[in-house]
Formats: sequence, structure tokens, C-alpha cells
Amino acid sequence: MNKLISSWGMNAELQWVIFIILCILVVSSTAWFILGRLKPSKLATELQVRTRSWWVMCACFIVTTLVHPLVTVLGLMYLSYALLREMYPLLKLDARERNVVLVCYATVPIQYGLAYFGMKTLFLAFIPVFMFVFIPFLLVVRGETKGIVRSISLMPYSLVAWVYGMSHLALLFQLPESAGSTAGPQGLLLYLIFLVGMNDVLQFAWGKILGRRPVLPTVSPNKTWEGLIGGVLSITLIAVAMRFLTPLNVWQAAIVGFVTAIAGFMGDAIASGIKRDIGIKNSGHAIPGHGGYLDRLDGFSAAAAPFFHLIFFFCYS
Amino acid sequence: MEKQRKKDLETNLNLPAPASWRRRTMLVFLYKILWRTILGVVIGLRYLGVNKNQPDGPVIYIANHNSHLDAISMMTVVPRHRLHLTHSVAAQDFFGNSFFRQWSMENLVNAVLISRKRREDQVDPIEFLDGLLQAGRSLILFPEGTRGVAGSMGDFKRGVGHLASRHPGIPVIPIYLDGLYRNLPKGRAMIVPFGGNLIMGEPLVFGDEDVDEITLRTQKALEVMAQELRDANRV
Repeated sequence: MNKLISSWGMNAELQWVIFIILCILVVSSTAWFILGRLKPSKLATELQVRTRSWWVMCACFIVTTLVHPLVTVLGLMYLSYALLREMYPLLKLDARERNVVLVCYATVPIQYGLAYFGMKTLFLAFIPVFMFVFIPFLLVVRGETKGIVRSISLMPYSLVAWVYGMSHLALLFQLPESAGSTAGPQGLLLYLIFLVGMNDVLQFAWGKILGRRPVLPTVSPNKTWEGLIGGVLSITLIAVAMRFLTPLNVWQAAIVGFVTAIAGFMGDAIASGIKRDIGIKNSGHAIPGHGGYLDRLDGFSAAAAPFFHLIFFFCYS
Repeated sequence: MEKQRKKDLETNLNLPAPASWRRRTMLVFLYKILWRTILGVVIGLRYLGVNKNQPDGPVIYIANHNSHLDAISMMTVVPRHRLHLTHSVAAQDFFGNSFFRQWSMENLVNAVLISRKRREDQVDPIEFLDGLLQAGRSLILFPEGTRGVAGSMGDFKRGVGHLASRHPGIPVIPIYLDGLYRNLPKGRAMIVPFGGNLIMGEPLVFGDEDVDEITLRTQKALEVMAQELRDANRV
């Protein structure tokens, strides 16, 4: 078994984090099962469905992360594409702008390709510099100016928020080996996924236990100050405890955890605002108990780029 | 005996012959593998309530119609062993006016072309479809009769009522197609993925209801499914 694991290139740190994830899943599944048996309620059923989806998501994340960097990049690429595909009809960009939407879809493989083949400068510039000019120009070239201010604002935003941000996770594989860590890019990727995932869970949990004062009452009534502060503090501690996956020292890990948690919260809040304006509860139905792709990935897409740049600043510059 | 009767029907009404094994394999590959993957993974179509134990005999599938993808997506939920026995009903005046269209409809979609207007020199289209049901084939019908206005459902024509009242006991399976018109709207040639929903409802079985009532009830069933989908995701 050990031989098999090491032939995959899986080292002790990765085994540890996978073990921790499995423990959390087993414990929470059992807890919600018992809760549902003792006191059947809507919350218990919802928690069971959510945990079941977490099992599937964790399995997908872990397997795609460990198999090969190419598989990881393709998986992330599909997530970005699914986010765009889910949001464009909701943002009403599906009728007059459909040909430009096709160009937006085409930027996804290009951006992830730049990450996979390590063209870092072009990667950083492609969407915010080139596409930022090209997409509005394409919208103008159609010769139709009705509602163009709206689409000129939305389409580059959608690319930056859901493609550019997420694609930084693929760029993690381009970081050179560093002295402080043996877990490599897979370790960093699992570290971020673990932090943001736990951030959502813990903010929800702290909010359910202690939550009194809503932080954004008009946008998302379920988010409370207690949940936010409790979540951010616990994530900072978890980030320090799990820093064996990264080359960070204690203080750096604390800062990374703090920033990731805050960025995750911000992404969540932005997505809530967008959904509230559109007038929907969930962005879709792809993930049972969670909603659509955006409902689950809002935190990841906002936290990925800050996370990458902090790691780069601390360890590689 | 039964076989002979079906054969007679096929020759009398000029029904399409049952597909060869080559065509069967092609249809299974095309719809169960290729289109199923494209629709599920690339386009992001969500399949809801698809019944794995559909009846083994002839069935009438009905759906709202806004896009050329409609018939294709419905073929992907037809059971594998009934695929070559399932015919989409398409308009002769639209699909029959070019050789390529007609050939691809008849061979790749397994469709039958009927004229939307009754004509003296031709078999009554309802007789023709009736014969297909008698010969044990399933039908995919779009009772609106046209793709209509994007995203809205028109009134049903009475064809489905005629067919269901002549064949009491043959289940009518309503399928509500949501959002496919965004992926391939009327008048466009290129598919741009925007997701969508395919919802299969409970089979409706009719006894001795009259034509108008059946038509109305099938239309009602689809309208209820549409309403439920709209209500599911309101704040």
C-alpha cells in the first residue's frame, strides 16, 4: 500500500491532510445522522444533504489534485466554464450578446493553457489587459448599442471574477520547489481548498450557534458578525495548524489564513448581492444542498488570487 | 400473426421500415453516448425525473418546442432498446425542402416527416401516426406544431388528443424543456451553451376522454411543470 501511495508521488503531508478531511467528513456525517434520528428537523436533513455533497466534492478535489497536474488544471477549467455558463443566462447575456459569449468561453482554455504551460506574464495580463479591451470592442463591433454599457461592464467582470481568479489555482503548479515544504503545489492547493471550504462551514456554524447581529441585513440576512468573526479567527488558527502543507512560517500562515477567510467572506457577500439583484435564491441546482456552481465557488474564486500572491510574496520574492 | 399484421400496416400506410442493426447501433451511439455527453457536460442540461422503467411498448412523448435541440434532447431519454422504434414527428414543409435536411432528419434523428396541412392526394397525417403507434412505434410530438416565440408555450393542436383517444392505454409522457432555446434559438445555426432543464413528468394514461379534454389535460400538465420550475428558485 505504501509503495502504491508513494508511486503516485503522494507524500506524508498530503496523506495527513486527506486523513483529516476524511475524519471531518465521517464525524459530521455520523453527527447529522444521529441528530436526524434523535430530533428530525429541516436543518438536520439539510445538513445531511450538504454533507453528502461535501463527500462528493472532496472526493473530486482530492482525486483530481493527486492524479496529475493536467487533470487538476482541466478540472479547474471546467469549473470556470461552468460558472460562466451558469451566470450568463441569469445575467441576461444570452440573447443579443451570444456570439461574444462564445469568445468569453474561449478565453477559459486559453487562460488555463497559459497557466499550465507556465507563461506567467501573459497569464497575468491576458484577461485584465487584453480581454478587457477586446471584449468591449467586440460588443461595439456588432453595431448594436442598446444595453451596451451593461454588457461592457458585466462581461469583463465575469471573466475577472470567475476565470482570472480561479485560474490562479492552476498557476500554483508553476511555483518552483521551495526549501520549506515537501508537499509541493498539491499541498498548497489542498491548503487553500481546505481553508475556504472550512471558512464557509465555520462561518455557517458560528452563525447558527452564536449569531445575533446581521452583518449585511439587506443583502444576506443569514450572515452575522458572530459568524464572520468566529469564522475568521478559527480559520486563522487552522491555517497556522495546517502550515505543514506550505513553506510558510507561523506569522505568514496566520496572515494567509486571515486574508483567505476575509476574501472568502467577501466573495460570498458579492455573490449574494448579485443573486439578490437577479431575484434568485440559488444560482443553480448542480450541487444538492448547496445550489449552483456559484453558490459553492464564490469564496474560492475570490480567495484564489489573493492567496497566490501572498504565497508568492512571502516565499518567492 | 402479429408480425404479419405489422408488416401489412407498414406497406399499406407506407411507414418507414424498422431500422437495420447498423442504424440501431448508430442511434444508440449518437444519442446515448455522444449527445448525452454534449448535453450533460458541455451544454449543462439538467435531467430531472427521468424514468428508468419506461413502459416497454409504444409511448407518446410530448414536449414544448422552441429549438432544434428539443427533439435531440428527448431522444437521449428514450430507453436504449426503444430508440430505433421512436420517431420524432417533424414538419414536411420545413424539413422536406432540402435534400440534406430531409436525409439527416430521416437517418440521424429517426424522424418521420408529415405535412402540417391535410391534402387530398396524401394519407391523412393522423392516420399515418396512428399506423405507427399500431405498429408498436413510439412518437415524439411537439403539440404546439411550431417552435413559436422563444421561452413561451403556445396552445396545443389537437393531434395529440386524436392519437391518445384512438389508443387508450398508451401512456403520454410529458417532458418540459426549459432553456434549450437559449442554446440554439430559432434562426441561428450555432450552439452556444447556456444550460437548461429537461423535466420528465409522470405518464398520463387516458381512457375514454374526448379529444379536446386530452389535449387540454396534456397542455395543463406541461404548464404545471413549467410553473413548478419557476417557483422552485424564488427568493
